Amino acid sequence: MLHSQPATAMRHSMRQRLGFNFYDVFVVTFCVLFALICFYPMWYVFIASLTPYEEFVKGGLMLWPTGGVDFQYYNVIFNNSSFISSLWISASKTVIGTALSLLVTSTMAYAVSKVHVPGMKVLNLLTVFTMFFSGGLVPTYMLYKDLGLIRSYWVMVIPYALSITYYIVMRNYFSYSVSSELEDAASIDGCNEVRIFFQIILPLSKPMLAAVGLFLAVGFWNDYYSYMMYISSKPALQPFAWVLRRVLTDSQMMAQMRSGATSVGSQLPPPMALRMATIICAMLPIMCVYPFLQKHFAKGIMIGAVKE
Amino acid sequence: MTKQQGYGLQQAAKGSLLARARLALKKYWFIYLLALPGLVTLIIFSYGPMYGIQLAFKDYKINLGVWGSPFVGLQHYQALFSDNAFIQAFKNTVIINLYHLIFGFTFNVFLALMINEILVKPLKSVVQTLVYLPYFLSWVIFAGLVQVFLQAPVPGDVGGVVNQVIVAMGGEAIDFMKTPSLFRGLLVITNIIKTSGYSTIIYLAAISGVDPNLYEAAAIDGANRKDMLVYITFPRILPSVAVLFLLNISQLFLSNFDQVYNMYNNFVLSTGDVISTYIYRISLGGGGKFELSTAANLLLNLLGMIALIWSNRFVKKMDVMGII
Repeated sequence: MLHSQPATAMRHSMRQRLGFNFYDVFVVTFCVLFALICFYPMWYVFIASLTPYEEFVKGGLMLWPTGGVDFQYYNVIFNNSSFISSLWISASKTVIGTALSLLVTSTMAYAVSKVHVPGMKVLNLLTVFTMFFSGGLVPTYMLYKDLGLIRSYWVMVIPYALSITYYIVMRNYFSYSVSSELEDAASIDGCNEVRIFFQIILPLSKPMLAAVGLFLAVGFWNDYYSYMMYISSKPALQPFAWVLRRVLTDSQMMAQMRSGATSVGSQLPPPMALRMATIICAMLPIMCVYPFLQKHFAKGIMIGAVKE
Repeated sequence: MTKQQGYGLQQAAKGSLLARARLALKKYWFIYLLALPGLVTLIIFSYGPMYGIQLAFKDYKINLGVWGSPFVGLQHYQALFSDNAFIQAFKNTVIINLYHLIFGFTFNVFLALMINEILVKPLKSVVQTLVYLPYFLSWVIFAGLVQVFLQAPVPGDVGGVVNQVIVAMGGEAIDFMKTPSLFRGLLVITNIIKTSGYSTIIYLAAISGVDPNLYEAAAIDGANRKDMLVYITFPRILPSVAVLFLLNISQLFLSNFDQVYNMYNNFVLSTGDVISTYIYRISLGGGGKFELSTAANLLLNLLGMIALIWSNRFVKKMDVMGII
């Protein structure tokens, strides 16, 4: 039938092809534009933090470092004692917190995934309920005070030992991704629960544990909330995220940083440049683990809720 | 004889809860052991603070303790509802969440569909890498980026890029972060940049399950790509869209403390103050009104529960696995 009307068919296919092109141009333009909006601010800050001040004030898009690369602002940061100690606090609480949270959350998620064990359904409901109902800020503060956690390093770690979000992710993973036939076969072969857990479940779950661990680590690294609420004025314990907040909002902190800089460089560094260098320092560890993070969630491990 | 013993045990199990518990404990001791650290954490750090909720109905005296302090009924709620700052924060929370829903949520769905339509595989993965990235940066970093781009110039500081451009072009610098009428828009836009990419993951996962034969069949029937998008791809993600939409509605009264606290300032309280920042400001943030803040928190929790139960009734009707 098409052959009997070649002219119409040709016009039809041409229009279709043209439509195709417009469509693709729109799709690609939209996506690339949004991707640039997401990425360019970080790139700008990165380049600007390396650009000498005389070049920076000239303006420009900062696509590439012009006028040489200059680490002077980073020098100011790494010669500031409160920066160094806060980096240590952040790093240590990230490592300890992630390890603890991974242990407590994964074991509980595995236990609850055994729905045939009496009490586990109730435990699950009790856990998920706390996502939607909490004591609130002041009661939490009072409890921590009674527990002796206020103004203590451990308030940034211990209360987060059970992560409800990742509990749900892990519980779904254990329920749907680890085959129950495998476990049944193992138990028929005489494996008890202990051996099943250590010799079958744990090795099988390594990729998932790695992924959740990375997500937890990012959370601990970014956390300033626990310091602000429950420690608040103990500079020896402040995490890097909090120092960044102060650099951004606290003019006193900025003044202290700038005056400290005179001993290093020749002139007072501009506040905006110091802010940018601090932002980059806070971003750097996340950038380093990002390829691994992306590999895991792109595989779909993190969305335990989508079942196919 | 062993059979009889087993029968006896079963009888006992049926009979008393204690015996049944003992039996389960003996059989599954390892599973219970695994759940124990989580359970202890849950009881102490999630349920522990709930003891203090009674503050919402009490006049707290430090020397009497939480339990011993005198009961004052709904006095704090009367104070709360006659506090204009609370009413304002409540309104702002709902309005900002509606903006997030209307603009942010729609954008997420659109972005997912657009990313799926990119035919060049390497370009698609580059776009995905770039749009997921901001999700992992904290709001503190984001607030810093906003400052770098939007800050108004002050003596001794050149100000943000946008204002540098405005001034260079002969315009008057705008103090974006201190203009109340711009603040909600700022919240919505920064939230889109930070989270939209990441929220496409769930849609893209749903789309990846579409049978390619459907598209081929549609192409033979003369459908163009836009038709396929509208009639094949979009219906596929509709259940996920519906569920996420309902979950978002159930969070109508919740506010993102992290975002607002890092971006707001005293100049934009009238449009930017939300319930969570209000709760913080009147209590630990220096206000010292501990009972009032607890009362506000309890009210917020109850409203959230009602919204959640209501929206969950709709979610359950759909064939999608919920969180519970």
